This record gives sequence, structure tokens and C-alpha cells, in this order.
Amino acid sequence: MSGKPLPRKLFATLFVISLSSISPSLSQLHAAETVALVKEVSAELDLAATKALFDSHSACFVDARSEYVYYKSHIKGAISLSKSRFDEQFPDFRQKHAIETFIVVYCTEDSCGKARNVARKLMKNGYKNVRVFSGGLIEWAHAGFPMEG
Amino acid sequence: MAQNVFPSALITALRLVLGAFFIMSGYEKLLDLKFFGLIIAEYQILPSFLIPAISLLFSLCELLCGTMLFIDLFSRFSSSVMLCMMVIFIAAMINNVMRGLEHDCGCVKFLSQWYGLKEEIGIVPIVRDILFSILLLPIALLGSNRIPWKKDRK
Repeated sequence: MSGKPLPRKLFATLFVISLSSISPSLSQLHAAETVALVKEVSAELDLAATKALFDSHSACFVDARSEYVYYKSHIKGAISLSKSRFDEQFPDFRQKHAIETFIVVYCTEDSCGKARNVARKLMKNGYKNVRVFSGGLIEWAHAGFPMEG
Repeated sequence: MAQNVFPSALITALRLVLGAFFIMSGYEKLLDLKFFGLIIAEYQILPSFLIPAISLLFSLCELLCGTMLFIDLFSRFSSSVMLCMMVIFIAAMINNVMRGLEHDCGCVKFLSQWYGLKEEIGIVPIVRDILFSILLLPIALLGSNRIPWKKDRK
């Protein structure tokens, strides 16, 4: 009588343990989906999409960090349009880049708000095709993608 | 009285240490003037057309005054010039901190590379520059204004 429920209990325990080990990965998956959705809604680009744009030479890359940081290192071919000196740098940028240009703005990493700020300013100035590469230079450099400076 | 408080040996030590420090600081700025100019631009105080000239002037001033301090050539004059520069740097940093700007101070890169000291404008570089001003004061007030290779007339 007491021997029969034991395998059941064991099975139940194993089931609970396996469920609890699966659930974090399930929740991570769910979180990743949410992040992707948020990024899609706010028109932000991930590393793969940014690299695809870089390889196709179809976008103009804009560095939103301070100019002296840009001077030391930046994504290959990127242009400096810093948040701090936007008003001084923008007239030159406007002369060289048509309003229809597809622009990818980045800063250091996801938490730095400079890229979003510059993107907003660009859109205010008439540029419609502006996207933010949220991973920023850190993610780009970690992936070993082309840099210069 | 003042001479008793600051014996000539102490003034010589201050002169040599600060002189060597400003030589290194000025030299590293001259090595990459464009970088220093871009940091000055971040202060958003000077018009753009003045920045290349000012960055050259500041770095040359630091290098020359540092050398003059080190070899005891017009120490009083050179320390006074450095004191004025320190006051300008302190005022510019306080101005930028109050405006909420965040950027490197462009002070001494080798200190941040060797000792990991913070280069971003804020309380640390401001206090550091105040300390340098205090150390420069005794030389500006009590140092000599002589030319070392000319013998003093009796």
C-alpha cells in the first residue's frame, strides 16, 4: 500500500523540477519576444539588421556621441552628429545628405539616450527614414564588425 | 616671515614637480591637438573658429611654462601664467557642470591612463585644479624671476 504512491510522488517531484527548470527559459523567450516587439514598434534596429544595412551600403550611419569620442573610434564610414553639438553640426550634414536618406543612428550602448535624442531631432528636421541601432558601438565592436578612428 | 613658512627648498621641489607635470600635460596635448580641440569644443564656450588657435595656445603655454618652471627661468612669471590658466579651466568646468553637460575635461590624459583618475568634468577635476592653483601660489608669490645662466650682480 505504501509502496505504490512512491513512484507517483517521485514522478510528480521530477515533473515539478523539470517544469521549474524549463520555466525560466520560457520566460526569457517571452521577454526576448517582448523586447523584439518593443524595438519593432519604436523602429529600433538589432545588430543583424544593422549589419545587413551596413553591408548593403544603403544607409548613412550617424554617431550621436561627442565628437572627441567619435574621433577615437566609430563604425566604419559613420558621420559625427553629436547630441551635444547638434545645432552646429547639422547644417553641414543637411547640405550633404538628402531628406530621403536612410539614416541609422547609434551611440555607446542601449542605455545611452543620445542616439534616440539625435534621431528625434533628425525627424523634427524633416528626415523620415531614421532608425536607431540600440546595441550601439559596444555591441558592434564585440561582434568584431568594421570600425575606424 | 613668508620665507620661513616656505623655505626655498620647498619652492624648488614644487617648481620641479609642477614643471615636470605641465611639460607632460602640454606635450601630450600637442601630440594630438585635434583631440584637445574637440574637447574644448564640447565646453560650448568659444566660437568654432577660435578653437584650433586656443587649443594650440593652451598646450604650448603649458609646455613652455612647465619648462620655464622646471629650469627656474622666470618662475614667478610662468607660475602666474599657469595660475591664470587654472582659474580659466576651473571656471569653464564649473560653468559646464552647472549647465548639466557631460564630457571629458581635457586635463591630463596620462593621469587617467596611469592611475585611472576620472577625466570627466565634475568635482574631482575641479578639486584637482584648485589643488594645483594652491601649489602654484607660493611660486607665484615667492619664487624667483631670474635667468639661471646669468650670474647675480653683487
